Amino acid sequence: MMARRAKTSSLGTSEAFGTFAVVFAIATPIVYVASELGGWPLFTYHPGVNRIDFGWAAARANEGPAMYWYGWIASTLIAAALLGWLASLLPRRISDKIPLFLIWLLPLPALAILAYVLMPFWTH
Amino acid sequence: MDILLDTISVNTFWTILLIVHALLAVATLGALTHQAMSVAMPVRRAAGPRGFITRFRAVQGAGYATAVCVLWVVTMILGAWIYTKYRIAIRIPLERTGYWKTLGFFELKEHVAVLGLGLLPVYWYFWQNAKNPDFDSARKAVTILLAAMCWFNFLVGHVLNNARGFG
Repeated sequence: MMARRAKTSSLGTSEAFGTFAVVFAIATPIVYVASELGGWPLFTYHPGVNRIDFGWAAARANEGPAMYWYGWIASTLIAAALLGWLASLLPRRISDKIPLFLIWLLPLPALAILAYVLMPFWTH
Repeated sequence: MDILLDTISVNTFWTILLIVHALLAVATLGALTHQAMSVAMPVRRAAGPRGFITRFRAVQGAGYATAVCVLWVVTMILGAWIYTKYRIAIRIPLERTGYWKTLGFFELKEHVAVLGLGLLPVYWYFWQNAKNPDFDSARKAVTILLAAMCWFNFLVGHVLNNARGFG
């Protein structure tokens, strides 16, 4: 994968950062879709009353809607960063085998799934 | 914040935020479109007369990467802030008036923004190593995908603002 990377200390040419970035990109659509489908936001924001609940929380009567998007982002960034960091510890002979096409391919089925989840909006 | 809202109305405040968000989106869109054109249809020769399209795609893509990452993140932070107001002041009235598909596309826009965010570190890394042929295909694909995402988000945001903006 990264056979020709220069060994310098700058972030832009760091092998560890390259592996982190590749795995972060691959993990993001997977974790985000899982968070959305599984109902795993790190927190729930209630904009009507400006309150934050840890994890998933239903909207309460007379308090307006609940927003999960921020919580999904938090869950995704933390999990993807953790996976990326773990991958950056892998020996190069393994990290070099991570297929780069997954980076741009995985967001496409992720978007298809997310669009499907929004079916109530399309069929209302 | 209180001092600011003593000076301008709440609607004006959110409208200003929305305009700044839109202007940042325009900058992101321009940079990514230039860059995507430069990788999708690179200019092979400098000789001969150059038209607008040739000059448009003749940019040095590497110079845009950091700016695109910063713009994407700042635009998204502003959008996330506006989203809190949108959820109450825009979405609920649009639900009442039956703009379901518009709302659905807006929800999809938010998902696209997150998936784009996940691509930024590797996108930046690929462009920092623009001379590495191992990354050529992936860099091209990621850049074009980000440009497509940006166009989608820009158009959906524009249409939603037409359906119901602040103010």
